[in-house]
Amino acid sequence: MAEASVHTLAMVAPPDDVDTVHEMLESVWASAPQISMRDRFSFETALIELASNVIRHADGGGGISCDLTVEITADQIVACLIDSGLAGNISLIARSMPGELEESGRGLSIIHALVDEVDYDRSDDLNHWRIARTLDS
Amino acid sequence: MDITVKDLGDGVAVLHLDGRLNMVTASGLRDQVGTAVAGGRNRIAVDLTKIEFIDSSGLGALINGLKTARQAGGDLRIASPNEQVKLVLQLTNMERLLTAYDDAETAFIDG
Repeated sequence: MAEASVHTLAMVAPPDDVDTVHEMLESVWASAPQISMRDRFSFETALIELASNVIRHADGGGGISCDLTVEITADQIVACLIDSGLAGNISLIARSMPGELEESGRGLSIIHALVDEVDYDRSDDLNHWRIARTLDS
Repeated sequence: MDITVKDLGDGVAVLHLDGRLNMVTASGLRDQVGTAVAGGRNRIAVDLTKIEFIDSSGLGALINGLKTARQAGGDLRIASPNEQVKLVLQLTNMERLLTAYDDAETAFIDG
């Protein structure tokens, strides 16, 4: 069984953006060949939606600092994202999909569909987000 | 993400996308579709062969392009999505609105 591995990223947006997260995940996947392609792109999709939400909605005008940790254990992949943005006002309750011609409003539903755990906490003036996906056996 | 536009004539333009279609690049796609439609090409085929990743922002840009093309009397069709793109289309119930064609160059052959 592969050992647990932990990967960390400190970013400031701007100039960093979601492509910075993609690049981090490239190195995560390179070090974890046991993770199936389905698990990889499902988790990456959920994490990018989360990071996009944070960058888009939590910036009070002065940019935003994020510390991202991705941990792979024997049966889970977990991301913890801590950001300095405004208090998260994003409801974590999964909503139904918007009308098909709406151009936004699908991100949170996508996250909930692709991971098994979604948690949010506000402490020390920071937002703490956590998503976890149980790996295919 | 890079976008290459190919004019097939008869009002058809193929947009070949290469890279990630996300919140960073979505506006570029919206702009290119807008330019093509403003130039009289209202049938837009979006070649996703080289798109490695899409998120809800990218999906929003495709929907924006679809509406832009339809408002001009045309349509927007997508072709050759990979498994990640298919997953996002499936999860968001967009497979009917954005039906995937095998080949962008022939997506409008049937009209």
